[in-house]
Amino acid sequence: MSASGLTEVRPRKTGERLTTGILIQLIIAGLTTGAVYGLIALGFITIYRASNMLNLAQGEFVTLGALGTIYFLNLGIPYLLAGALATAATVLVGIMMELTIIRPLRKKPVLILIMVTIGISFFLQGLENILFGSDPKILPPFIRDTPVLLFRSVRVFPQSLLVLALAVLLMGGLSAWSRFSYLGKAMEAVSTDRQGAALVGINRNHITRIAFGISAAMGALAGIFITPVYFTQYNAGTLLGLKGFAAAIIGGWGTYAGAMLGGLLLGVLESVSVGFIPAGYKDAVAFAVLMLILYAMPKGILGSRALSEARK
Amino acid sequence: MKRHTITRMEVYFIILFLLLPLLFEGALVAHLMVIAGTYAIAAMGLCLFLGVAGQISIGHAAFFGIGAYTCAILSVRFITPGFSAIVAGGLAAGGVARIIARPLLKLREYFLALATIGIVVIFQVVATEWEALTGGVSGIGNIPWCSIFGVRLDTPIKQFYGVWAIVYLGYLFSRNLMHSKYGRAAASIALNETIAGTIGVNPAHIKQRYFVLSAVFAGIGGALFASVLTSVSPESFGLSLSVMLVLMVIVGGTTSLGGSVFGAVFLSWVMHWLGAYRAYSLPMLGALLILLLVCFPEGLFRGIGARWHDLVRIWAPAGWRKEIEK
Repeated sequence: MSASGLTEVRPRKTGERLTTGILIQLIIAGLTTGAVYGLIALGFITIYRASNMLNLAQGEFVTLGALGTIYFLNLGIPYLLAGALATAATVLVGIMMELTIIRPLRKKPVLILIMVTIGISFFLQGLENILFGSDPKILPPFIRDTPVLLFRSVRVFPQSLLVLALAVLLMGGLSAWSRFSYLGKAMEAVSTDRQGAALVGINRNHITRIAFGISAAMGALAGIFITPVYFTQYNAGTLLGLKGFAAAIIGGWGTYAGAMLGGLLLGVLESVSVGFIPAGYKDAVAFAVLMLILYAMPKGILGSRALSEARK
Repeated sequence: MKRHTITRMEVYFIILFLLLPLLFEGALVAHLMVIAGTYAIAAMGLCLFLGVAGQISIGHAAFFGIGAYTCAILSVRFITPGFSAIVAGGLAAGGVARIIARPLLKLREYFLALATIGIVVIFQVVATEWEALTGGVSGIGNIPWCSIFGVRLDTPIKQFYGVWAIVYLGYLFSRNLMHSKYGRAAASIALNETIAGTIGVNPAHIKQRYFVLSAVFAGIGGALFASVLTSVSPESFGLSLSVMLVLMVIVGGTTSLGGSVFGAVFLSWVMHWLGAYRAYSLPMLGALLILLLVCFPEGLFRGIGARWHDLVRIWAPAGWRKEIEK
C-alpha cells in the first residue's frame, strides 16, 4: 500500500525541518486514516459482542468493498450506486461466511476459529486476485480534490475531512442503533449475558448473522473511504484488518467509542511517526504501540471488561 | 516412558528416513524433504507451546526469521564457521523471545494471537527497512553451507541426513521434556491455569520457558533453512509462514510431536504442489485450510480415526456387515 498523489503529506526529505505546519498536516492525515482504522475496529467489536468470536478476515471486507466499487465504477455505474452495490456484495459474503463456515465451528477451540478465519482471508484474497487483478488500484475522490487552505500554511483535502465526518457519523449511528433500536438492544443483551438473552427468546444465531452483516458493511465502507487516499490491491486487507484489531484493543476492547478513539489515536501516531522515523517503519508502529499499551495499560485507554477477563 | 527407550514405531521411521534418499532418486525429493525438515524443527517447538502448554502463537515465523537472519549475517559478514552460526540463530531467537515474553504471555486467546501476529509484522518491517544489516528487500545471498562435525552439507543428500538428524535430536529432547516434570506442569496449565497454580505450578514461569524454548527451536530451524537455501529475504518469513507452522501442528494433532513432523512434511509437499497453480494457489490454499479445519479440527490422524466407521460406511456397499458375518 503506497501513498498516492492525493495524500496530504509528501514524504519528508532527509534534513527537512519538521515545522508546526507539517506536523498539523500529518495529524490531519492521521485522523483520516485513523477514522478508517476505527471503522474496521467497529467491525471487529460488533462480531465479538454478538458472538464472542473474532473474524480475522475483517481486512478482506475492506479490500472487497474497495475493489468491488472500482469494478462497478468501471462498468459505468454511478459512484453512489457502485459503492452501495459493493457494500451489499460484501455483506452477502460476510453472511455466507458465517452461515457456511463459522457456525458449524462455533464451539471449537479459539485456535481453530482463528485459523479458519485466516483461511477464509487467504481464500478471499486469492479470489480478489483472480477477479480484479493484482495491480494496485485507486478510486476517484468523492468531491473535488483541490486542497483547502485551513489557516496559514495548513492545507487540507476536503476528501479527508469528509471521510472523518462520515466515519464519526457511522460510529454514532451504530451506537445509537445498538441503544435505541429493538435489534440493537437484543444484540446488547446477547453481549451482556448470552444465557439470559437466550432465555428471553433472543435467537443468538440470528444476532450473530446480523453482526457479521454489519461488520462486513463497516469493512466495505472503510475500504471505500480509504481507497481515494491510498492505493488498494488484493492483499492490502491483512495489514489494515490487523491494525483495526490493534486499534480496538488500544482504545479499550469491547466499546464502540473505544474502537473509534483507538483508531484515531493509532492513525495519528502512525502518521506523526513518519516525521521522526523512516517512513518504511510506519507499519510496525501500530504493533509497537499495541505492545506498549498492553504492557502499561493492559485494559486499553477507556478500560474494558472483556479484556480483563481475557487476561486474568 | 523411560528416557532412553525408543519405541518400535520410531525405529521404523528412522529406517524409513535412512532409506528415503535411496528410494527416491533426484535432488527434488531430497531438497523438499530438507526444507520440510527445517519446518519440522520449528513445528515441534511450536507444538510444545501450542499443544503441550495450550497457548496460541501465530508469530513463530518471526523467530524462524530471526534465526535465519542471525545465521546469514554471522556467516556472511563475520564469517562465523557453520555450526556455531546455527546455534547462534537459535540463541538469538530465544533471546528475543525472552525479552518480549513477559508482556506477551499475560495475554490470552485472540489477544495473544494478535500480539504474536504483531511480532511477525514488526520483524518483517525491520528486516525490510534495516538495509545496512539485513540487505533490505533483496535480503542476503551467498550464505555458505554449514558443516556438522567437519562434514560440509553441500549436496541435497548430505543436507537431508544432516537436517533430519537434528530433527531427530529435537524430537528426542521434546519427547523427554513432555514426559518430565516440566511436561506435566505444562499439560496442567493447558487444562486449567488456576488449578495448575493450586498444585504448585507457576503458570507464568512455565509458559515463559516454553515460549523461549519454542522460539529456540524455530530459530534453529530458521538458521538451517538459511544455510540450506543459501539466501534469505524478508518475504519468506511473513504471516503465511506463521499460519503454515500453526497448521502443521494442528494437522498432526496439536499435542502430538510426531504429528507436527508429519504436518511439516505433508504441508511442504502441499505447498510445492499448489505452487504450480500460480494465481490459483492462494485461494486453493485457503480452501484447503478451511476444509482441513472444518473436517478434522482435532488433526488428520485423530480425525480420520474418530470418523473411520463413517468413512467406511460411505464407501462400503450397503449390507457389507452382513456379508462379513455370513
